[in-house]
Amino acid sequence: MTPLQEYLALSMILFFIGAWGVLARRNIIMIVMCVELMLNAINISLVAFSNYSPSGGGRGEVFVFFVFALAAAEAAIGLAIAIAMYRLRERLSVDELDEMRG
Amino acid sequence: MPEFNQFWFLLLAVVIIASAVCVVLFKDLIYSALSMIGSFLGVAGIFVLLHAELVAAAQVLIYVGAISVLIIFAIMLTHHRTGNIWNYFHRQAWIAVPVCAIAGFTLTVVMGTASYNAISESQNPSDDDIASLLFNEYAFPFELVSLALLVAMIGAVLLAKKEKSQ
Repeated sequence: MTPLQEYLALSMILFFIGAWGVLARRNIIMIVMCVELMLNAINISLVAFSNYSPSGGGRGEVFVFFVFALAAAEAAIGLAIAIAMYRLRERLSVDELDEMRG
Repeated sequence: MPEFNQFWFLLLAVVIIASAVCVVLFKDLIYSALSMIGSFLGVAGIFVLLHAELVAAAQVLIYVGAISVLIIFAIMLTHHRTGNIWNYFHRQAWIAVPVCAIAGFTLTVVMGTASYNAISESQNPSDDDIASLLFNEYAFPFELVSLALLVAMIGAVLLAKKEKSQ
């Protein structure tokens, strides 16, 4: 394996550990944490491609900064939803958010 | 140009993957958050290995410094059920394991063995390059991201605000 392939393999493994956490856990804060792990995996592959492409010139790293900003926004909204949900019903399990079920 | 360092890469990969698995498996959310910080630090080390020192510094500042503190505050502001394993694992966890294992194995093998034609030796864009890209070519997305952050901040304040009792 070349270095680029090793970085991409690490990125994919981390991404699917995060996906597993999103699917397997009930707690909404836990799901936000696992989504952050998935975004980190994507950042690894962006920086790896940026580092090994001949004409990138740092564009991949610029996109990583956008991902950082949007990950921060996503975490803030997700945790605000978690706190609002806790205040409403003292529970954080995603199974209990079923008011909109028909 | 410094070459690829196999030893540090493997060490960081083991740290990242082990702490990511711990994030999913720990029962107590505070332990999960702490091992998530370990994973973030490992990713910052990977960025240093990729010669993206600016991204590594931003990773430590934003993820380890800000997002982790936000998550830990949210954990401390709420109360969590413990006890039986199915109180914190979803019923679909058994299906999720093989699905993620198969999809993850497939994509890892595909991305780990594909040949990349446009590959070159390790590039090293300077911080000046990144800054001029960010403020010239990507100035409009940059402003859009700042708008998204503003909207997220207002939304988070509104969502978490205590309702006035009638």
